[in-house]
Amino acid sequence: MKEQEWKKEEGGTQGRHDEKSGMRNEITRRTFLRSSLIAGAAAGAAVNGLLPFIQTIEVAFGADSFSFAWISDSHLYPKTLNTRFVEKTERAINEVKAMKPAPDFLIYGGDLAQLGDPVELDLGAELLKSITVKKYYIPGEHDWYLDMGDKWMKLFGKPNWTFDHKGVRIIGLDTISRGPDYWSAKKMSQQERMGHMATLDGSVAGPWAGVGRDQLDWMSKTLSDWPKDKPVIVFSHNPLYEYYPPWNFWVRDWREVQAILKPYSKVTNVHGHTHQVLYNEIGSMRSIGMLATSWNWPYPPEGVPVLTTPMVRVDPGDHFDGVGWSKLAMTAADKVNNEYMMWRKDVFAQTQVDSGTGDNTNQILSPRFADRP
Amino acid sequence: MKRTLLYLAVPALCLALFILLSATPGMAHKAKHAPEQLKAFDDVFMEQVRIGDLLFHGDAATEKKMKTKLSRTGMACAMCHPFAVDNHPHEFPKFQEQINKFSTLRDMINWCIEKPNEGEKLDPDSDAMKALEAYIYWSNRGSKLDPGRH
Ligand code: HEC
Ligand SMILES: [Fe+2]
Ligand SMILES: [Fe+2]
Repeated sequence: MKEQEWKKEEGGTQGRHDEKSGMRNEITRRTFLRSSLIAGAAAGAAVNGLLPFIQTIEVAFGADSFSFAWISDSHLYPKTLNTRFVEKTERAINEVKAMKPAPDFLIYGGDLAQLGDPVELDLGAELLKSITVKKYYIPGEHDWYLDMGDKWMKLFGKPNWTFDHKGVRIIGLDTISRGPDYWSAKKMSQQERMGHMATLDGSVAGPWAGVGRDQLDWMSKTLSDWPKDKPVIVFSHNPLYEYYPPWNFWVRDWREVQAILKPYSKVTNVHGHTHQVLYNEIGSMRSIGMLATSWNWPYPPEGVPVLTTPMVRVDPGDHFDGVGWSKLAMTAADKVNNEYMMWRKDVFAQTQVDSGTGDNTNQILSPRFADRP
Repeated sequence: MKRTLLYLAVPALCLALFILLSATPGMAHKAKHAPEQLKAFDDVFMEQVRIGDLLFHGDAATEKKMKTKLSRTGMACAMCHPFAVDNHPHEFPKFQEQINKFSTLRDMINWCIEKPNEGEKLDPDSDAMKALEAYIYWSNRGSKLDPGRH
């Protein structure tokens, strides 16, 4: 019964197989991006369709080849509380250092700390010190809402930035600092403010993820002198589309972001925050979700983009399972590749029963209420 | 079978019935239910859901009150199971690979306390266990019963 359902879905997706390279049914940890799929791609949230193969999209990027690495969502606690997140961050760092050739740069994609504690942020900065290639940082909500980014900015500088690298315009966005004020009226302590922000399924912090008018204007200006057919990579903590707002798997002004990016034909967004394998296309923008080093999040019961090949179910007894980092490359053959460095053999689900979305249609969930007044 | 029913019954409701029974011996189920009574039953249930929600989210004060130590890693259940996702209360009882035995939801709650959380297992009949169970069921209400599903 279940097997049949799986087969049916598999049958329905044949048009997306990469016939030339014969990758039917062969699933690896790589995400090859090629433009051939852009036409007719689904936009926004849609029901997940369990595609038993890798995403393949060709990108005529006209850029020199280079590679870079991504680490994010380490959620470090002070070492006195637990060291498991430290161990996993160290493992990712050591693997980045072992990359041959070395990556051109590292993006640290936010949520370095768990509760914005200066001890946690210092610990993270210290660990990352041993990576000697150029590093760029964007903040996550867990880094920010204790002191509203004071410590983070002292360590890492401005939360949004831009630079050009080998023919690609690269933008780092701050999607976390513009949360509407939920704390002043309730006279919350800094710790209480941080606590609500750190509760993914809480109801108090509301739709905090956003880019903001000022940063949207900055983004437009940054792109204004860039040719429309040249590649752009946008790094953000949150996904730049509406995925599952109840867990803030979005930015609330994603439509404005898309409006700015729309004229550019080669945009790739790489984001953290969702702690899981994700892939989506909105217009000409491709969006790739990164793994956390700390822990993985189950897929929500709805809204998983149809273009996502879901990751496997995770073994709760092994805290190195379902997590990791990413190697990304812009190749001379004009492709952007993403390779999930998940610490296990199979990254993508081969059958429904082993899929992280396998139970999705069978779960109806309700928001919590104990944190409401 | 009997067990399944037991786990589906809301434990708090039994408690309320019991209280009612002792107040008016022999009257339960013989007189029509007044709206206030139904509300009282619901209040008892939702109070357990609330306590379970707080425990599930690692609320320190509630843990102290219930004398539980559900985690030693700093991680609460909700950090891996937001909205009690992937708790699948509607799939129990079932064979559970991790424990290598036919298991109930309570078995699996205890397994997650012991393994990923490195906390202290609960007495399966304790108030804290029942509250966690109430929260997990309530959060997943509307999901289709599918016992045995992996
Ligand atoms: C570090 C992450 C993590 C934490 C913390 C955690 N769990 Fe889990 N739990 C998991 C994973 C992963 C699974 C497996 C889900 C699957 O197989 O789809 C799981 C499975 C379960 C299941 C069984 C679901 C099924 O169908 O097999 C229950 C029940 C459960 N957890 C309850 C809890 C409770 C209660 C807590 C807090 C005391 C908790 N968990 C804490 C990661 C976690
Ligand atoms: Fe995160
Ligand atoms: Fe985040």
